[in-house]
Amino acid sequence: MSDPAPKSSFAQGLWSALPIALGYFPIAFSFGVAAVRAGLSAPEAVMLSLVIYAGASQFLALALITGGAPLAVSAFTLIAMNLRHVLYGPALMKAAGPGAGRRRAWAWAFGLTDEVFGAALGGLARGRVRFSEPFMFGIGLGAYAAWVLGTALGALAGGAALADWPVLSAALGFMLPALFLALLFSILRRAALPVIAVAALATVGATLWLGATAGILGGMVAGALAGVAGLGVRR
Amino acid sequence: MNADLVALALIVGAANWAFRYLPTRLDLSDAPQGGLFARFLAATGPAAIATLAVASLQPLVASAQLADLAPVAVGVLGVAVAYFASHSVALATLAGAVLYGVAYALV
Repeated sequence: MSDPAPKSSFAQGLWSALPIALGYFPIAFSFGVAAVRAGLSAPEAVMLSLVIYAGASQFLALALITGGAPLAVSAFTLIAMNLRHVLYGPALMKAAGPGAGRRRAWAWAFGLTDEVFGAALGGLARGRVRFSEPFMFGIGLGAYAAWVLGTALGALAGGAALADWPVLSAALGFMLPALFLALLFSILRRAALPVIAVAALATVGATLWLGATAGILGGMVAGALAGVAGLGVRR
Repeated sequence: MNADLVALALIVGAANWAFRYLPTRLDLSDAPQGGLFARFLAATGPAAIATLAVASLQPLVASAQLADLAPVAVGVLGVAVAYFASHSVALATLAGAVLYGVAYALV
């Protein structure tokens, strides 16, 4: 069935990136500060954000580097941490519908982080976004720019940048939880509740039992399996 | 620039790119509507967002004393009220962070 609404534009993608950028900037700033504190130079900190572009992995990379872990061990650990991203492409393309463009996905898909995926999927689910590659470039570029810029400014500001601003630091630290919660509300429908409940419970349990990375992977897989078992979403 | 650091970044960055890009090339046109794979994919989005919301809140709740939970409760409530009043993810995110900061300052 054809949809008369026009495809979402690059500018709409940039606009959709705004809450992500607001959430990314303070975290990237903190990463820049932490990287300099760990002994990296500002260009090295920015290089990590430009090339790896995965928040939790980058913080873990600092711990591995300063702990003297071998290159192969560090690489394997960081790669395993981001394995969850393989689920995002197919889920997004399915939500985009048949015939959705993917010729330039080799370029925009690098920007398919947790938050960009969540925001794009939320927009598609609410009908506010009609998938297009320019839209994906816009949302990806906005988020990427905030991440790299935040890292650079944090690295240049140096070790004690936020020490005199505890309230601001606390509020900035709540940006990402707030963003994920808002995204969760944006996709909340009765049919999705069982999947959401299973994913949430599995995340809490696996995190307490096995650690944060296992919690994230376990929650996603348990929620998706709940959908397969027929508890979940019909779209 | 440290060569080991650059090598680590290139290896992990290349893997991230592959994880994010290659699955978008999967041809899903043959997947039957309502089949196992279709149900798996449809549930992946809500599951991922719920997981990330819980995972990002859990450290704030787990390490807090009872009095320290107030900013978290105010922040969560702020996001909920702002989202359902405006249906804007951006506004809800900002409102939640501002209210969290205000509650943090008061507590």
